Amino acid sequence: MKGTTRRVIMVLGAVALALAAESGSPAVGQERQVVEVVAERFTFTPSEIRVPVGTTLELRVRSDDTMHGFRIVGANVNVAVPKRRQGEAVVLFDATEVGRYRFECSRLCGAGHNFMRGEIVVVDR
Amino acid sequence: MPNSKSADSNGGRFLSALALIVALVVTPSLGRAQESESPDADSSSSSSDSAPSTGPVSGYMDFHYNNREREDGVLDFHRFVLLFSHSFTDRLRFVAELELEHAVVSNETDGELELEQAYVDFLISRSFNVRAGMLLAPVGIINERHEPPVFHGVERPFVDTVIIPTTWFDTGVGLHGELRGGFRYRAYAMAPLDATGFSAEEGIREGRQKGAQSNAGSLAATGRLEYVGTPGLVLGTSFWSGDAGFRDLRLDAGVTMVEFDGRFKLGELEARGQYAHGFLDGMGDLNASRQRVTGVSPNVAEEIRGFYLEGSYFLSPRPAPREVAVFLRYENFDTQYRMPAGYQPLKEFDRDAWVVGLTYFPDPDIAVKLDYTVLRNQSSVIDAPNAINVGLGWWF
Repeated sequence: MKGTTRRVIMVLGAVALALAAESGSPAVGQERQVVEVVAERFTFTPSEIRVPVGTTLELRVRSDDTMHGFRIVGANVNVAVPKRRQGEAVVLFDATEVGRYRFECSRLCGAGHNFMRGEIVVVDR
Repeated sequence: MPNSKSADSNGGRFLSALALIVALVVTPSLGRAQESESPDADSSSSSSDSAPSTGPVSGYMDFHYNNREREDGVLDFHRFVLLFSHSFTDRLRFVAELELEHAVVSNETDGELELEQAYVDFLISRSFNVRAGMLLAPVGIINERHEPPVFHGVERPFVDTVIIPTTWFDTGVGLHGELRGGFRYRAYAMAPLDATGFSAEEGIREGRQKGAQSNAGSLAATGRLEYVGTPGLVLGTSFWSGDAGFRDLRLDAGVTMVEFDGRFKLGELEARGQYAHGFLDGMGDLNASRQRVTGVSPNVAEEIRGFYLEGSYFLSPRPAPREVAVFLRYENFDTQYRMPAGYQPLKEFDRDAWVVGLTYFPDPDIAVKLDYTVLRNQSSVIDAPNAINVGLGWWF
């Protein structure tokens, strides 16, 4: 019985690892940096996120009021940020090239909607 | 009670209105609650397929029941606001806000149809962008951030009504952007205020030209600098400075306003405060001039000022429809703070108010509001009426 339990745990562990790899976990040797971002009319905090090149950036974006959108311009990323206390959006961004990448709210959220912008700054190591 | 309307009668009507609003709002919210309890429904992943649904139109609405002491209660569909946006390109965007106030526009009502915003943004860089069209003056907490679910109390704060004339908008052009260290700015040139609309009771409020063939002989400068670099904290300061005497060539009038504000959130607690001070030049001459024309001096002050402090608390950190916040706000505002030589202040316009109430959120975008306002003034003759207010406001 004990052996069966151990085998089940090993199989489940392998499946979990395979699923994690499938869902875009960083390549071997690539660092992951997690940043929590709060969206609120009409700011993202922080609005500037600096990462070294070669990092996989995991952005966990939550709203403090209405539904916002989180779009990284030119990166094919555009997700809904759920309303307050209704979850978070998780965005993975591979910082493969040095540069500045603009992000913004992509859902009209009020009079100051166009102020909701920020930047991911990918810097040399 | 010195008047014939009994408190019982008003209270009964108030409870009926409250029951109606709660019935309308709570019933549909229950279905919504069941949807949001699905464990995985809230998470999103990075895919363009999951882009948020953005309808062609957004907006907000504000429906109020106001019952001032010794008066009949009033049901008012205060604001019906539609927002439109369009992106010509990633860097060229249009936003407009069209507002119908008090439901009907006619000679017999106070209704107004106003174009409060309609501008094109030329988004050039993070720190430097150009905006032109119908703009909101970037002054104070509420003027640029006035959707009903983002502030407590049925009506906007008094300071944001009679000291800062929210919603303060006019035609103009300017710059905005974000600087290093969590600072960002707006700097606009806008059509000036018209001093002939100033009054003892409402300060500069009726001096807004509202972009209706606004006189632009001399543009006003306005701007705001704010710090948003720390989660939960916003600190801001803003100003307005411009001539206001263009209707009368003999009048050398102008307005300078400075303002400071802050908002701070810690867990379920939020505190906010604001101070605004207006310096009105040439008001002695304005009062004399208006008296010659109309026979009555408007008794406009040469300084107006107001401040408020507000604390609020979410009673339980639960998702809607179980979100309830309580709040308490103290306001002090005086539109007769300093008078020109030869004019006496009207003490009924040196006012303060305690506003206590709650906001229930059946959804984060819907606010059911209830408050009680104790309004006082420095006059020994004229009473300031207290009020019970119930409101339903929503953003979509």
